[in-house]
Amino acid sequence: MHMADALVSPAVAGVAGAVAVALIAVSSGKIKKIERNDIVPLMGVLGAFVFAAQMINFSIPGTGSSGHIIGGILLAALVGPWAGFITLCSVLIIQCLIFADGGLMALGCNIINMAAMSCLVAAPLIYKPIAGDGKSIWRITLGAVLASIIGLELGAVLVTVETELSGVTALPTNDFLGLMTAIHLAIGAVEGVATAVVLSFVASYKPDMLYACQERESQDKRMPKRTKIVMSVLGSLALVMAVGFTWLASSDPDGLEWSIAKITGDTEIGVASVPATAFLPDYDSTFAGVIGGIIVMVLLWCVCALIFRRTKTSVVDKK
Amino acid sequence: MTKLEKAYLAVNNIDRIRRRTDSSPVILLVTIIYLIAVLSVPVDRPQGIVWLAAYPVIASEMQGIGYGKVFVKSIWILPLLVIIGVFNPIFDKVTVLHIGSLAVNRGWLTFISIIFRGLLSFQAVILMILTTGFIDIFNMMRKVGFPSVLCTQMLLSYRYLFVILEEAIVMKRAREARGYGRKAYPFSMWGRFIGQLLMKSTRRATGIHRAMMARGFSGTLPLGAKYSWNKRSWIWLISWTAVIALLRFMDFSKIITEIIVR
Repeated sequence: MHMADALVSPAVAGVAGAVAVALIAVSSGKIKKIERNDIVPLMGVLGAFVFAAQMINFSIPGTGSSGHIIGGILLAALVGPWAGFITLCSVLIIQCLIFADGGLMALGCNIINMAAMSCLVAAPLIYKPIAGDGKSIWRITLGAVLASIIGLELGAVLVTVETELSGVTALPTNDFLGLMTAIHLAIGAVEGVATAVVLSFVASYKPDMLYACQERESQDKRMPKRTKIVMSVLGSLALVMAVGFTWLASSDPDGLEWSIAKITGDTEIGVASVPATAFLPDYDSTFAGVIGGIIVMVLLWCVCALIFRRTKTSVVDKK
Repeated sequence: MTKLEKAYLAVNNIDRIRRRTDSSPVILLVTIIYLIAVLSVPVDRPQGIVWLAAYPVIASEMQGIGYGKVFVKSIWILPLLVIIGVFNPIFDKVTVLHIGSLAVNRGWLTFISIIFRGLLSFQAVILMILTTGFIDIFNMMRKVGFPSVLCTQMLLSYRYLFVILEEAIVMKRAREARGYGRKAYPFSMWGRFIGQLLMKSTRRATGIHRAMMARGFSGTLPLGAKYSWNKRSWIWLISWTAVIALLRFMDFSKIITEIIVR
C-alpha cells in the first residue's frame, strides 16, 4: 500500500500533502483534550508495535504478492481515532524518513490512504457502532474484521485514483481498481483477523485499555438516539460500498498474470485510451539523450569518486 | 536467525550506518526540491530525467558515502517500478521513435521514465537518510512548525521500537525453551503471544514515561541544542537549488545530440 514517489505527480502530491497536514493539525488539537494519563506512553508503544508489525510481510495465496497489516483499526480501538491517526502518521513518517519505505513526496497520499481511511473513516463509522462499549468479544471481532477490510479497500481505491490523476500508468482504471481491491481484500481479511485476535485478548485481560471502556467511564451520558441513527446509516452505506468492491474484486480472482492476459487480449481499449501527444517533434534527441546522459553520469561518478575520495584520503594521511 | 532478530538487526544497522554531517538539516530541503524537479519532468521524456542523476551522484560522493552504496541500496525498489510500468508498453502503442529499423512505442519511453524517476527519487531519499540523523529530522520538523504532539510521538515510537523487538525476542526464546523442539505455533497461541507482548511493552513504556515525568518531562521534548542554520547551510541550499534548476530546465539531450551529430 505504500506509494512510491514514482507514482505521483507534484500536483497530486501537493494536494494530498496539504490535506494530510490539515488532518494532522486537527488531530493534534483533539488529542490535547483527551483526559487519559497513560495516553503518551500508550501511543508511543503502540506506534512501535504497529511499526514492528508492518515489517513482517505475509504472502497472499494465489497472487504471488505479499502484504502487511496497517494497524489503523487496532490503534483507533485502543487510543481513539484522533490519537490513532497521529500514531499511524508518526509510523509512516518514520518509515519514510528513516527506512525509505514509501516516497517522501507521496507521504501525504500514504497518510490519507492508510491512516485517515482506517482511523478516521473505518474506525468511527464501522468499528465503533458494531463493537459498541467493548463488552462483547463477538462484536469486537466482527467490527474489527469489517472495519479493517473496508479501511483497506478505501485506501486501495484512493491509491488507484491518485495514480490515475498523476497520469503515470497507462493501465485502464477499471482493471487497476479491480487488481488493487482484489489484493487488498485478502490483506484486509488477514489484518481484520489479526486485529480481532489482539483486541479480544485485550478485552478479556485488560478491558480498561480499550478506548471504548475509557470513553464509557469518562462520559456518563448516553449517546443521543439521533447520533446513533446517523452512525448506523453511514456504517450501512460504507458496508454497501465494501460489498460493491468485493464483488468487483471477485470478478478478477486469479491475480496479476490472469489480469495481464485478459487486459492484453483487449487491444481496442489500449489503443483508444492513448491520446496523441506532442512528443513527436522531439524524439530525435531521445535515444542519444538517454544513452549520452547515462554515459555522462557514469563518467561524472568516476570523476567525483576520484576527487572526493582522494581529498578525504589525503586529509586522513595528514592527520 | 529468526525474522524478529533480523528486524532488530535491520533497525540497529540503520542507526549504525547513518553518517551525520554539518549540512544535515538542509539536505531535507534540498531533497524536497530535487523530488519536485524529478517528478515534474513529463513522464514521456526519459532524456529529461537522466540528467538529474547528477545530484545523487555528486552529493553522495561529496558526503563520503559513495554513489555505489546508494545505487545498490536503491536496486530493491526495481521490481516495484517494473510492476508499475510494465503495462505501459502493452497499452501505449503509439510509435514515437525509430532506432534503425526498430520502432519504439511511447509506452517503452514512459516505462524507462518510470524506472528512472523511481530510482532517482529513491536514491535522493536514501542519501538524505544516510546523511541526516533522526534527531536532525525531529528538530527540522519542529522548526518548520509540525505539532509537538506528532514529533514527540515519532521520537517515542522510534525508541520504543527497540523495547518491543527486544521483548518479542525474549518471549519467543522463552516459548521455544518451553516447547521442547516444537517449531510451529498453533493459531490460538498467536493472539495470546501478541496480546502479552503488547501489554508487557506497554507496562515497560509506562514505567519509562513515569521516570521521565519524575525528571520534569512536560509532554514536549525540547529542541536539540546543536541545531543551527549557518552560512554553509545557505551555500549548500542555494548552490544545489541552482544546479537542480539548471539540470531540470536546460535541454542537455539536445546539446549532446548536436555534439554527436557533428
